[in-house]
Amino acid sequence: MSGHNNVSEKAYVELRGVNKHFGDFQALKDINISISRGRLIAALGSSGSGKTTILRMIAGLETPDSGEIVIDGKVVNDIPGSDRGVGFVFQSYALFRYMTVYDNIAFGLRVKKWDVATINQRVKELLNLINCEGLEGRYPSQLSGGQRQRVAFARALAPNPQLLLLDEPFAAIDAKVRLELRAWLRKMITQLGITSIFVTHDQDEAIEVADEIIVTNKGRVEQTGTPRELYVNPKTPFVASFIGNAHPVENYDQFQFFDRLGEGTRAIIRPEFVSVFKKGENKQFVKSAEEGVVEDVIFRGSSLELKLRLHGVTIPATRSVNDSIIEIGETVDVFIHRLIVVDGEKIIVQHNKSLKKESVVI
Amino acid sequence: MQMNRENAFIKWTLIVGCELFLALFLILPLVFIIQTAFAQGLATYCNSITDQYAVKAAWLTVKATLWAVGVNTLFGLSAAWCITKFAFRGKKIISTFIDLPVTVSPIIAGLIYVLTFGRQSFLFPLLDKYDIEIIFATPGIILATIFVTFPFISRELIPVLTAQGVDEEEAASLMGARTWTIFRKVTLPHIKWALLYGVVLCTARAMGEFGAVSVLSGHLRGKTNTLPLYIELLYQGYDFTGAFAASSILVLLTIIILILRVWLEGRGNKRMELRH
Repeated sequence: MSGHNNVSEKAYVELRGVNKHFGDFQALKDINISISRGRLIAALGSSGSGKTTILRMIAGLETPDSGEIVIDGKVVNDIPGSDRGVGFVFQSYALFRYMTVYDNIAFGLRVKKWDVATINQRVKELLNLINCEGLEGRYPSQLSGGQRQRVAFARALAPNPQLLLLDEPFAAIDAKVRLELRAWLRKMITQLGITSIFVTHDQDEAIEVADEIIVTNKGRVEQTGTPRELYVNPKTPFVASFIGNAHPVENYDQFQFFDRLGEGTRAIIRPEFVSVFKKGENKQFVKSAEEGVVEDVIFRGSSLELKLRLHGVTIPATRSVNDSIIEIGETVDVFIHRLIVVDGEKIIVQHNKSLKKESVVI
Repeated sequence: MQMNRENAFIKWTLIVGCELFLALFLILPLVFIIQTAFAQGLATYCNSITDQYAVKAAWLTVKATLWAVGVNTLFGLSAAWCITKFAFRGKKIISTFIDLPVTVSPIIAGLIYVLTFGRQSFLFPLLDKYDIEIIFATPGIILATIFVTFPFISRELIPVLTAQGVDEEEAASLMGARTWTIFRKVTLPHIKWALLYGVVLCTARAMGEFGAVSVLSGHLRGKTNTLPLYIELLYQGYDFTGAFAASSILVLLTIIILILRVWLEGRGNKRMELRH
């Protein structure tokens, strides 16, 4: 990884006040983004949130109605995509289906009139990088999904771009291979040190792969930060409920040691905010725990997912498979560490008051 | 087993039905054409098809067909490209207008041109001044042929191009390829067979066109008579041998095109197999 970035480090890619309409639909609303060199960024959002438009705009496949796109200190609005030093991996890979793997990777180099020997050497190098030696004579239809993605990756990297853009790079791959490819892509990009932005609607993917996440919603950027920051410190109600496994709770003040913070506020609770103890098992929070009833236990393989009934509301919790077994209908001790309180557009993380004197490390 | 037997029954009924239908409506008339053409012996047949008017009519048909195919290939490619690769206002309208010639009766198509370029048109003085003859002359016949075969090529290309999407073109353009390179290396390989098929359809239709051409031709023997018009002329004059002999030329041309098409398709399939 490129390590910690200073605030003072100059942005490599910047969007300044970018707006874009498609007909009557405003796809982007005053987008301001700043991305440092060498980072791996995820643009995360649901479909129609504007994430792909942002990517296509940086690539030069769309032009903004207003605002500036800056790459490496230069405003590139009027520079065609092919001169922006950008590699693009399409969602469906868009490999040239009537060309071999070799010709696909060599295409951009031939267009740029590299000499034949250099092209040959570069293609060999990339085939080696993506572990596809021996496949140069194949056509895209003869490759597996994972191989196609890697060839698309190699094709985008061939002309040595300074910036790599990937549109939903894992969407077209089945679940098992996807996990492998995620790890592979992350390793590859970190190893090459190339600034990369990928678009995804899958929060797990963004959290696992990216150094930093840009959360988009309805054409706006909701929040930008490391996966950890977004998780621990959501700045908007959207981020609070989009990231993680969020459950809304209306009357949160009925939980012990939590106060209502104004009228019309509601709370979001996540399973990891809740500890569950069998009767008598609880030592740490024995005084401040409340009693709840187990409504459901779902085996998730690596953990157990619980649904608990507490003050008439159902809240989620998880438990390790190594802990002693909990049955449905059992009365248990429940301790809620904290809640995310949503007040209009404001977010307040409220900690359990009984912890007030202890320092809380999340 | 039961199911299989039933399927076999349906299968053979359909096959026999198809073959009977083809025999009755296609093979039989074809045989009849050839038979009538040769009814008065080989010499008469040869005389009929080497008749100077027959040769001129055949030549005019070929000429009009070549023009129509050429123009419509160019137009079809541009129209299909523009409709599938760009988003713009009025796309629907253009798309509908392209289909118009199929829905308009050829006679009306002919009349449209007579009204547009004929004596009563406001364009006529201009055409007259520069000595441009359209109505009752070869240009009119070519125009009519182009008109009726207008949608054939673009209609073959549009579905293929739509299915392909624009990703590959975008990818190529991001790598710095120029439009012409993108067309040659990315788009053309994809639409090659659809294009050839469209050309074949267009050719077949252009050669057989009667209605619109009939209105515009003026029926000047040896000048503005195409093969179908010439055939009708002979037929109306009770020269059945002559009419059918001339028809046999048209049949021959059609068969050549059919063979060409089968050969092209075969090549296309072989290429594809190599890729799978």
